[in-house]
Amino acid sequence: MRARPLNKKFWTPGVFVMLVFMIAGAISIIARFTGGIGYVTNLSNARPWGLWVGVDVATGVALAAGGFTTAALAHILGKHLYEPITRPALLTAVLGYTFVVLGLLVDIGRSWAIWKPMVNWNTNSVLFEVAMCVMVYLNVLYIEFFPIIAEQFKGRVNLPGLLSALNGLVDMILKIGDAILDKIMWIFIILGVVLSCMHQSSLGSLMLVAPTKLHPLWYTPILPLLFLTSAFAVGYPMVVVETTIATSSFKLDAEMNILTPLTRVTIFLLGIYLLLKIGDMVVRGTYVYLFDGNYQTNSFVIELLFGVIMPWVMLLFERVRHSRTGIFTAASLIVGGVALNRINVFIVGYQPPLSENVYFPAPGELMVTLGLIATLMFIYRFAVTYLPVLQAPKEVST
Amino acid sequence: MKLTRRHFFKFMGAAGASVAALPSSASAWESKAPPDPYGCLVDLTRCVGCRKCEEACSEVNGLPTPERPNCQCTIFEKKRRPDEKAFTVVNRYFTGKLDAFDNPLPTFVKVQCMHCQDPACVSACIVGALTKDETGTVRYDVSKCIGCRYCMVACPFEIPAYEYHDPITPRVMKCTFCYDRISKDGGIPGCATICPTEALTFGKRETLLKVANKKLKDNPGKYIQHVYGEREVGGTSWLYISAIPFDRLNLPVLPDTPSPKLSETIQHSLFSYLWSPLALFGVLGAVMSKSNKTAEKQQNKGGA
Amino acid sequence: MIKRIIFLVTCLILTPVLCVAEVWKAPDQERAKERAKEVVPFVTEYKNDDQITRRISLMDTGISIQDVTDTYFLLDSPIIKKREDHYEPVRFSHKRHANLTNDCSKCHHYRPKDDTALETTRCSACHQDSFNPDHPERIGLKAAYHQQCMACHQEQAKGPVDCKGCHLQNVPDHKELVNLPDNADPFQVTAECLRCHDTQAEDMLTTAHWLWKGPSPYTTGHRKDIMHGKGTTALNNY
Repeated sequence: MRARPLNKKFWTPGVFVMLVFMIAGAISIIARFTGGIGYVTNLSNARPWGLWVGVDVATGVALAAGGFTTAALAHILGKHLYEPITRPALLTAVLGYTFVVLGLLVDIGRSWAIWKPMVNWNTNSVLFEVAMCVMVYLNVLYIEFFPIIAEQFKGRVNLPGLLSALNGLVDMILKIGDAILDKIMWIFIILGVVLSCMHQSSLGSLMLVAPTKLHPLWYTPILPLLFLTSAFAVGYPMVVVETTIATSSFKLDAEMNILTPLTRVTIFLLGIYLLLKIGDMVVRGTYVYLFDGNYQTNSFVIELLFGVIMPWVMLLFERVRHSRTGIFTAASLIVGGVALNRINVFIVGYQPPLSENVYFPAPGELMVTLGLIATLMFIYRFAVTYLPVLQAPKEVST
Repeated sequence: MKLTRRHFFKFMGAAGASVAALPSSASAWESKAPPDPYGCLVDLTRCVGCRKCEEACSEVNGLPTPERPNCQCTIFEKKRRPDEKAFTVVNRYFTGKLDAFDNPLPTFVKVQCMHCQDPACVSACIVGALTKDETGTVRYDVSKCIGCRYCMVACPFEIPAYEYHDPITPRVMKCTFCYDRISKDGGIPGCATICPTEALTFGKRETLLKVANKKLKDNPGKYIQHVYGEREVGGTSWLYISAIPFDRLNLPVLPDTPSPKLSETIQHSLFSYLWSPLALFGVLGAVMSKSNKTAEKQQNKGGA
Repeated sequence: MIKRIIFLVTCLILTPVLCVAEVWKAPDQERAKERAKEVVPFVTEYKNDDQITRRISLMDTGISIQDVTDTYFLLDSPIIKKREDHYEPVRFSHKRHANLTNDCSKCHHYRPKDDTALETTRCSACHQDSFNPDHPERIGLKAAYHQQCMACHQEQAKGPVDCKGCHLQNVPDHKELVNLPDNADPFQVTAECLRCHDTQAEDMLTTAHWLWKGPSPYTTGHRKDIMHGKGTTALNNY
C-alpha cells in the first residue's frame, strides 16, 4: 500500500474560509511593511515579543515536532509499521518550518537583514543557535521532501508553454537527485533528528537569560529539557490530530492500526514530561504560586491539568486508545497543552518588572497569525490533493 | 534508506574524535567584563530634578528636545521610561519622607542604560550587534542588527527601546554612554557634564565604588547601606546610592548572578565543538544501522 | 543771537567728546568681574576639621563681618565655562550672606593644610574641574556652588532653589531671531512670538491670565462688573 495523491475536489467551502483569512492576513502584512510593527501590533518597549514569536515561531516549531519524531521512530528505530505516517508528518514539518521563517520575517524589524546571522556569529547567543538550526533543518526538510516530488513527477514532467523545452532537464534533475538522495538520505534523517533536538531544547533556553522577567512557575534551569521532552511528547499527538482531521475531511478511513500503538509511545513520552514538570515544581518549591489565582498562575494550572495530566490519564484507558474520538480528544488536549505552554512561556508568563504592562494582541497581529495558519492549511490541503503524501487505503463513502 | 557500513564507521570515527577533544574548560563560565571600565555614580540625595541631563542627552545624541524642557510642573506626574526618543529620563517619587517643615520630600531618579559588566543584551544578541567595549560602554552597531528584539527581552532593566513605527529600518535605541565623547581623553558624558549638583559623578568604576562606599561609611544615617549596581546582575557600570530603599524607586531587586551565566553555561557545555550533536549523530547512526540490519535479516529469513 | 550760535557750536563740539568719555561703571561690579576671571592655584590638601572645630578656629582668628571687603561676587569662572555655558553667572551678595548667617564656617567649611594660606580661602581654590581622578571625592566648582547655595536655601526655607531664581538664562539675541515686516500688526507680532514659544503659549492658556472669570476692579469702566475677565468678556488677541 503506497501513498498516493488523493485527487479529490479541492475547492470546498472550508477552503474559501481559509482564503478569507489569507487575504486579511495579507492586508495586515502590507500594513506592517508600510506603517511599521507599531502600526499593527500592541508590542511595546516593555513587551518586545508577542503573539508572532509566541505562536507563529515557538508554537509553530513545537507542533512541527511530528516530523522528526516519526522519522526517528520509523527510520532510525526501524519500526516500519509507522512508515505511512512519516509523509504527512514530514509535510507538516516542511510547512510548519516554512511558516516559522515567514512569521519571523514579519516579526523582525529588519526583515531584509535576516541573512546577517550567517555572517555575524555570536556563539553566546541562544537565539543564534536556534536560528542556525532552524535554517539548516529547513533545508534538510526540503531535501527529505524531495523524493515525494520526484516520485510524483519523475518521467512525466510537463511544464507549460515555453518552459516545456526544459522538460527533459527537469526530469533528469529529478531522476539524478532522487537516485543520489536514496543513497545518502540516512544522513539527512539523522541530521534532522539531531538538529531538532538541538533547537527544540534551545527554544526553551531563550528565556533563561531573563530570570527576573519570566514567572517562576515556568522559569527553571531545566526549561530546555522541558521544551525537548514536550516536543517529543507532542510529535505523535500532532500526527494523530492532523491525520484524523485530514482523513475525516477527505472521508478516508483512519489508520487505527497505526494510531493506537502510537498512543502507547505517547503515554511514555508524555509521562516523562509530566514527571519532569511536577518534579521541577516540587524541587524548586514553586507550587506555592499554584493557587495565587491570577491569570498567569491560572494559565499554568490549565496547561498542566488539561494539557498534560488529563490526556495522560485518558490514554491509560484501553477503551480510549481504541476509539477514534478518544485518541483524537486526548491528542488534541496534548497539542493544546504544549501550544499553551509555549504561549505561557513567551507571552503570559513574561512579566516586565518595571512597567505596568498588559498585553493583548492587536487585531492586526491576530490577522497575520491567522492568515499564516490558514495559508499553511491551504498548502497542506493542496499538497495532499496533488502529491503522494497520505496513504489512502480505502474510502469510507463517496 | 540504506546506511552502508563503510559510511557509518567513517562518520563514527569523526564523531568519536570530537568527543575526545571535548575541552574541560567548556563548563566553567567566566565573566567577560572589561578590566577597568568607566562608570557613573548617581547620588540620588543630590539630584534636584532639573532634568538638565535629559536636555543635554538629547542634544548630544541628536534626539528630539525633551517634552517641556523648562517646565518641571506637570512632567513628573506620570512615571516615564527611556524610549526611542529619550535615552534618559528623570522620575519623581514621593516615598513618605518629610522635610523640616513636614512637606513631602521628593526623590528624583535618573534612569538610563546601566551598562552592565556582563550584559544580558550582549549575550543575547544573535548577530553580536551589541558589544561591551573596553570603556565599559555597551555599544550598538546598527549595521549588524536584524531587529529580533531579543536584547529587549533579555535586559533586566527594560532599557532598550525600539523604533516600532519605522517599517523597514527600525533601530534599537538606548543610552550610548556618550561613547564618542568618553573614548576621547578627558571626555565626559553629556548628562554628567551638565548636572549642576554633580549628582552624576563620572570616572573609573573602581574609583567610584571607593567613593560611594566611603560616602556610605561617613554618612551612615543618610544613605541606605548599599551601592546599587555594585553586585546587581554581576555589577553595572552605573552605580546608585540613595537615602530611600531602591525597590521603592523602581530600581528592581536583582540577583547577583550575571544574567547570561546560566544560558551561556548550558550552551557552551552542550555545544562547544558541537560535541553533543556529533555524539547524538553517532548514536543514532549506530541504532539506525543495527535496526536496518535486523530488518534485512528478518526479510532474508522470510524470503528463505 | 551770537551767544546762541556760540552755544550751539560749543554743544556740537562737545557732544562727541562727551560720548567718547567713559560711561560710569560700578567699581565693585568691575572688581567682581575681574575676580571671576581669575583661576587660583589648586589646593591639593586640606585640614579635615569637623564643623565645630572649624567654627571655633575661625572665631579664634578674630575674623568678623567687618573684614568682608567685597560686597558681592560674580559666581563665574573659566573652570565652569570650559564645560558648558547655559546660564548667566549668579550675582552673589557676599556681605549680605555673611550678615545673615553670621557664621563663616557655613561656607568656608575647610581650610588648606598650608598654614600660611588664608583662613577664608575662596571656593575655587579647592573646587575646580569636575571628576578630577586624583581627587574623586572632591566635587567641581559648579556643583560646589549649587550644593552649597541650594542646600542652605532649602534648609532655611529662604532664598531661591530654582534655576531662574539666581541665574539669568543665556538668552540669544532676539534681534537676530525675530523676523517681522516693518509696521507689523499685533497679530503678526503674536504669530512671530508663537513661532518659537508654543509651549509657553499653551501654558498661558491654562493660567488665570487667560481663564479669569470674575471681577476686574482695576479695569476702567468695568470696576463694578462681577463677571468680566479674559475668560469671559475681555479681549485677548492671543
